[in-house]
Amino acid sequence: MLPTDPHLFRLPAEGEDRPRLLGSYAPESDLHFWPRRKRCPVTRTPVQDVELGPKGTLYAWTFLHVPRMGKVSFGDTGGYAVGQVDLPEGVRVQAPLMGSQQDWSIGDEMALTLFPVGTDDDGHELVTFRFEVVR
Amino acid sequence: MTSRMGRRVFVIGVGMHAFGNQGIPATDMGYVAGVAALDDAGVDFPEVGALYNGYIGGGITAGVHLAKDLGLTGIPVTHVENASATGSSAFGEAVHAVAGGRVDVAMALGFDDMNRMGGLGRSGRRGLGAEDVMLPAAFFAMWATRRMHEVGSSVETFAAIAAKNWNHARENPMAQRRADHEVTVEEVLASTMISYPHTSKMACAAGGGGAAAIVASEDVARRLGGPMIEVVASQQRSETYTDGHVFLGAVIGPAQMTRDTAGDAYEQAGVGPRDLDLVQVHDAFPIEELVYYELLGICGDGEGDKLVVTGETSLGGRIPFSTDGGLTARGHPGGPTGLAQIHETVLQLRGAAGHRQVEGARTGLCHMAGAGSVCVVHILQRA
Repeated sequence: MLPTDPHLFRLPAEGEDRPRLLGSYAPESDLHFWPRRKRCPVTRTPVQDVELGPKGTLYAWTFLHVPRMGKVSFGDTGGYAVGQVDLPEGVRVQAPLMGSQQDWSIGDEMALTLFPVGTDDDGHELVTFRFEVVR
Repeated sequence: MTSRMGRRVFVIGVGMHAFGNQGIPATDMGYVAGVAALDDAGVDFPEVGALYNGYIGGGITAGVHLAKDLGLTGIPVTHVENASATGSSAFGEAVHAVAGGRVDVAMALGFDDMNRMGGLGRSGRRGLGAEDVMLPAAFFAMWATRRMHEVGSSVETFAAIAAKNWNHARENPMAQRRADHEVTVEEVLASTMISYPHTSKMACAAGGGGAAAIVASEDVARRLGGPMIEVVASQQRSETYTDGHVFLGAVIGPAQMTRDTAGDAYEQAGVGPRDLDLVQVHDAFPIEELVYYELLGICGDGEGDKLVVTGETSLGGRIPFSTDGGLTARGHPGGPTGLAQIHETVLQLRGAAGHRQVEGARTGLCHMAGAGSVCVVHILQRA
């Protein structure tokens, strides 16, 4: 299993049940960022690599009825959802959501999970990340 | 941060090729628009000192090839690309070329066909990456669901804005969508759902087209003797950091960018929102027009919905928005879109907008947002 975007997230390590987002932390401004930054965009000072997540709060969402992500469909719901999730570090992440629009409300707790989207040329399964409601 | 203009600049000519899906090459539509603007200004191409071509698709040399048809005069020809704000940025470059004294006459020329373009720049492989789901439709739909949660805006309000713009376009021969009947809120709501809560009739019309504007110094404008339409503000910004900043998948930067750019423009023009007679905005989806009522200072925060209910932003209302149909119905080919806003505003300020004329219009604002992080605001005023 390989991540589609290894610069954005990593797979769960042994003993973990969820993936992690790869972000940056700037000590000077005390700000976190995702994806990783070359330097703090506010203070232009150095940043450190950090891992973020895997849980946050749903800020906004939509459900798309148009095909995307190649030929991959997100389940049998006739479309797929995208949301913005606020992480406790102060980072807002925009990503696909699992399920259909009856499954969540703004303010719900969300958690990162993996989703298979195909295979690479060598037959390895490719996975991306999305959020699901925590019940 | 605010851009300055060293001398006064006037719009002396505008021209368009009708927007739509007509199967005509984009550069041909650009040529038609360019010649129309030259004719409108009453100048020949050798009088133009610099040409700024705005296009997103079309390839790296499309602009200089088009210039060969306008005339081999040896002037600098520059390609400008800023996503949806491409035409607005090309216009801004032409304005600043005159304002800064580089030339006395400059032309901005936009042409494109949205149906023949690739998507936004992406990472990831095979279109399977995390950025491949972030369509503009999704991004602005999330503005809408958040607005519904915070302010209580309704889908009927979004539909009413879209219906208004469809009906404005009925009076515009350059518009892509010209309904043969009064478009209703119910009709907009009943169209195909694209990205909740946005339906297909709320989404901007994607097609092709051309639009051009020619600007000149005060001396040239007075010599030509036409209506004196002054560019009293020309401002452009990218994003600054805001709480909840979205770096990946944000189709445009934070909404605050519009408030900041408009603030720069009002300061430069020496006018405020109450001085405006009409406004054109990046209404790719109706949620945008709704929040721009507030970000441009037309009303207070959270009060935009009331303007829709009372019809204040319709033709005949206090401050009409998207008088030519906006991106919703006039259309959004890409490069020419921002220049179509200039075209419309100039016609309105000349009193030449026909059945969609805003009575006594003296001051108009044009706003465009572009993917990545671009906001451009121009204010035009009849001198």
